[in-house]
Amino acid sequence: MSSFRELLFGKKSAEDAKSRLQFVLIHDRAEISPGLFEEIRNDIIMAISNRLNIDPSYISINMDEESGERRLLVDVPLKNSRRPTATRSTNN
Amino acid sequence: MDSVVITITSGKGGVGKTTTTANIGTALALLGKKVVIADADIGLRNLDIVLGLENRIVYDSVDFIEGRCKLRQALIRDKRAGELYLLPAAQTRDKTAIKPQQMVDMINELRDEFHYILIDSPAGIEQGFQTAIAPADRVIVIINPEVSSVRDADRVIGLVEAHQKGPAMLIVNRIDSARVKKKDMLSVEDITEILSSQVIGIVPEDEEILSSTNRGQPVVLNSKGSAAQAYRDIARRIVGESVPLTMPSTGSFWQKLFGRA
Repeated sequence: MSSFRELLFGKKSAEDAKSRLQFVLIHDRAEISPGLFEEIRNDIIMAISNRLNIDPSYISINMDEESGERRLLVDVPLKNSRRPTATRSTNN
Repeated sequence: MDSVVITITSGKGGVGKTTTTANIGTALALLGKKVVIADADIGLRNLDIVLGLENRIVYDSVDFIEGRCKLRQALIRDKRAGELYLLPAAQTRDKTAIKPQQMVDMINELRDEFHYILIDSPAGIEQGFQTAIAPADRVIVIINPEVSSVRDADRVIGLVEAHQKGPAMLIVNRIDSARVKKKDMLSVEDITEILSSQVIGIVPEDEEILSSTNRGQPVVLNSKGSAAQAYRDIARRIVGESVPLTMPSTGSFWQKLFGRA
């Protein structure tokens, strides 16, 4: 129902509030600040790229929370693995 | 007497803790309960002025703790609402004047005589908050539908659980159903989803609150307005009545929400 409105007027502010809160609370609850998270991310990239040929710009590392259980989700596509390059083409 | 001690807190300041405490306490007394509302905001007391009892304070809780009066002497009766009493905070001291264990002992002394003891917590999560929740059987967290309040509430809910006082219950205060409808304000449903806690009250933004506070007359005393009704409903839920949780001035969708909570 609201998708047409959203096209016309953009996302409603309550939805921004909700998604921003959900993001920040995952970090607050895990006591991992976005800055520390960035350092962990860099450590992981460094550790893997020492051994494997990877493209750091494809790596996704996210915090997730489901029914009170927090996890760190790391997705590292390996280079030359014929992975679809949709992300790259939309980024460029 | 089977007494219940409820601490009302929020983390963030200015969300309506004191107004809520005054109105729920008054509403409980109007239901025929014997009620004390205790101000734990030492140094920044306001329950007295919100209730219109500021001219009647002789002794306060710190006077009792330090042995200058009996607890009974520090209680001020509010005759407008049956058996309602205010236990004021000291205004010229700070949060260190009462230790958590002293608070527990003081409140325990009231348990024999009263059905409900409501404690108005100071803002923040430091010693004043710790002292305010120490005697609590239940904790209510007041939230405004905006990001800083919800984030702080999440922190407080975690601390309440860490102190084995959980699960905290929520009151969403100052909600504007028109703005929620336009998706320009977080809904009660959004807030329960983000915080995964139970909501026991939804209080609308209501102009009447300011004028009643100006006069020192809690709205539940004589108003038929929507905020007054919301406070009365919360009091009835606290005493165990089953009152459907309704979004002020909207329909049955909110009752479904309560069924799920």
